[in-house]
Amino acid sequence: MDPFAVLGLEETADDEAVRAAYMRALRASPPDRDPEGFRRIREAYEALRDTESRLALRLFGPPPLANLEELLDAFPEERRYVGPGPWLNVLREPRR
Amino acid sequence: MPKHKKQHRTGQRAQPPSGPGREAWPSRIESLLARGKSRDAVEAAKHYLKHTPGPEAEALAVKAYAARIEALQASGLHREAQAIGALVCERFPAHQGQVAVLMRQSEVAAGNFDALLVELATADTPRRRELEAVLARGLTDPAVLAESPVLPADHPLKRMARAVSDAFSAVTTGPLPAGALASLGAIPRHSLLAPWKLLIRAMDAFYRHDDAAVLANLSGIPADSGPARLVPVLRRLVGENGLPAERSPAVTALIEHVSGHRTVARTQLSQLSQALAAHDERKALAAVQALLPLFRAAPIALRRTFLISVLHHWHRQGLSPERLLRLLPSVKHDPDMLRLTALTLERGEWDTALAMWDGYLTAATATGLLSTTGPEMARVLLHMANLFPADPEAVLETLEVDSEQQLRRLIRTGQLPACFDRAALLERVRVADSVPQVYRALVAHYDQWGDPKRAEAEAEAWRRAHPQDLEPLLYLIRVAERRGAIRKALALLADAEALGRVHPEVRQSRFRLLLAGAERRIKEGKPALALDDLEQLAHEPRASEGDYPAYLLALRWIAVQQRGDTAVAAPLEQALTATAANPVLQGLILEALGTSLKVQVPPLSAAAATPGQVIDGLARACALFRALDRPLTVPAALLKRAEQHLDSASAAQLHALCTGGLWMGRPSLAYQAAGRGLALSDPLAYRFLLARGQALSASRAVDGEERARACLRVARELASRARDMDAVRAASAALDNLPEWAMFNALLTGMLSPPTETALTQAEIAHIIEHERQSRRTPQFPATSTPRKRRRSKPRRHRLPRELFEDIFAFFPFED
Repeated sequence: MDPFAVLGLEETADDEAVRAAYMRALRASPPDRDPEGFRRIREAYEALRDTESRLALRLFGPPPLANLEELLDAFPEERRYVGPGPWLNVLREPRR
Repeated sequence: MPKHKKQHRTGQRAQPPSGPGREAWPSRIESLLARGKSRDAVEAAKHYLKHTPGPEAEALAVKAYAARIEALQASGLHREAQAIGALVCERFPAHQGQVAVLMRQSEVAAGNFDALLVELATADTPRRRELEAVLARGLTDPAVLAESPVLPADHPLKRMARAVSDAFSAVTTGPLPAGALASLGAIPRHSLLAPWKLLIRAMDAFYRHDDAAVLANLSGIPADSGPARLVPVLRRLVGENGLPAERSPAVTALIEHVSGHRTVARTQLSQLSQALAAHDERKALAAVQALLPLFRAAPIALRRTFLISVLHHWHRQGLSPERLLRLLPSVKHDPDMLRLTALTLERGEWDTALAMWDGYLTAATATGLLSTTGPEMARVLLHMANLFPADPEAVLETLEVDSEQQLRRLIRTGQLPACFDRAALLERVRVADSVPQVYRALVAHYDQWGDPKRAEAEAEAWRRAHPQDLEPLLYLIRVAERRGAIRKALALLADAEALGRVHPEVRQSRFRLLLAGAERRIKEGKPALALDDLEQLAHEPRASEGDYPAYLLALRWIAVQQRGDTAVAAPLEQALTATAANPVLQGLILEALGTSLKVQVPPLSAAAATPGQVIDGLARACALFRALDRPLTVPAALLKRAEQHLDSASAAQLHALCTGGLWMGRPSLAYQAAGRGLALSDPLAYRFLLARGQALSASRAVDGEERARACLRVARELASRARDMDAVRAASAALDNLPEWAMFNALLTGMLSPPTETALTQAEIAHIIEHERQSRRTPQFPATSTPRKRRRSKPRRHRLPRELFEDIFAFFPFED
């Protein structure tokens, strides 16, 4: 979604940094083992590969998502341990 | 209604029975109880008991009181229920046992387990079961049993409750080691703590991400048991539905604590999508409001994606953006918000978007985000210039002015923002960064706005600024050629050749200019000079391509005829016949040259040609004359024959006939050739759809414009998928030239905002293609080509007031 985040880059990254981050990400997600990850990396790289692309992204990006529910990808799946309190609060709540 | 009045009325309804009919009261009380009217039943039973004392009336009164106690318990009024229970026990000691269980339930619900546990220790089996059922329903924390002073330490219930309480704390606090829940195995299935055992196992499975086991364990928890209230919550946490949309604060807090923001985001995003699809602005605003805090803490890129996506979908659904913009986080003159809003609006309201972009530039330069010159500024300004419609009429119409002069006057007097002067915008681009794109845009702008001299001057300026660019030279060559200034064109060509002799456009220009030179010599009656030019032309690489050799031979034959050299003319004619290899093509070339050069040529005789020769000859002639930019006139009889025999044409021939038909101003030929092409299932079907759409837009058919729009949209979509950008541009340009009836219909149907164009589905694309394949009847076309239609006056659309954004930004407290 955010190409800088996908490649782990700062918004000030230059061509060389983008290329290096792309190669690094490719090693972590090669297309044969992680096709989905590779697709994301490739898209991020295409969006940042040269000054012109980065400028376009900065001035005319980001493109709107076709489906609003894609925004959910930004929130990682979490299952936090919160102790018994919040669970018991639900049980103790007066019935409405 | 005030409470006291309500009570009074209720009392009135339960007046004491008197006289005959008193015997009907028991059934009346039963009826009230059956209908759930416990308060009225109690009032009626009290009066019945007063006037008809006896065991039957007493039993009925206790029954009514019990119903009332249950009703109060169901409403959570346990103290009130306990008070009534105590009263009943005191007044009707014989019925104490009937009310005692209910009393225990209220005690448990109020958090007082001691009395129940004391009784449980000595109760007989039936009574114990009743009490355990009460306990199972009311127990909301197993620690209450585990720490109860009433139960002895070795009481089995206390031991099991301790195990459950410990396991519950452990499972909610951190990852459990293997076998940590083994102690729960000692709790039998019929135990009142069995639902807790299932709940703890479900929670353990939840943290182990074993969602199937979560659901399996939850399904065993009775709905009326104490822990049952966590069942829908856990189901929601694993992505199942069933939790009511309106949640209690404790449930909301638990979900947020456990799942971070994901579950809330999922619910609200889903509600936002549904509300937008249903055009329910109130619900959509509520969902956005719930989502804002989640995105406020998100990284800037995500926040931007959220804002642009919400704005985009809002705009797409035709909802008014005012209230949304008031809701969105902003600071005064926040450049990013202005930019995102402009990007959204430019899809439908270019003029408002332009003003927003102008606001962005002001804000961005004021905050130092953009410098006043340089490539970034130029890029934004060029983007703004590209927002203007290509058709000047459309610009004037949108801005509600009659002429370019009036537009300039309104800008000069400050009644319209300066950014509405496109030429001035492009000048600003040139100042910011004089890139070739700006010159290209300036040349095109003055061409579109009917100022060829200014366009030429800009092309000259472009040439001076970028002397290595071929593009301005090629433009100037064509302008000189059209003016008949062949010498100037040749001089420019020499400059162009110095830059790139092998560039295809340069070679094409050279070929065209040499050809024009030879044709001019023939027109001037100088066949010898014409033959010299043709000799020179014969050495051009292009001279041997396609049907150029036939064209050159025809010119040479005409020059030789003009010179009166019959001995040379005869073999030349034979060579022309052999090279063209098609009498129709040969005839069309000679006839076209005869007309343009004003010389006598043998008349075209296509009658003897076979249908295949007619199709082939016409298709090749279309391609040749288009490439040479020379006029082609086709006799009506030949055209008719070609239209009758399109079934034998190949895909390539049909393509040539489509483009040639449109180019010659023969849309019926293009229409029919496109229909035949669609039947071939050619991979370039979108090209046929494009031609059909272009032909239909010139038709007089009732549904012509509608069909044209459908064809062009499908053509644009398929061409875009095939990355054929020429076809995409052609389809977009043709769509832009269609009258905007949708806007007119919107007014008729009372819609304030114009309908939005949604993406075509695969099924719609297939349907449109099939419909066009089936539509074989040629619609009527105007006899002669008409000048481009002036755009119809559009209804005034609902526009955002430009001041709105000032108001919005002023509305928020400053954060910067």
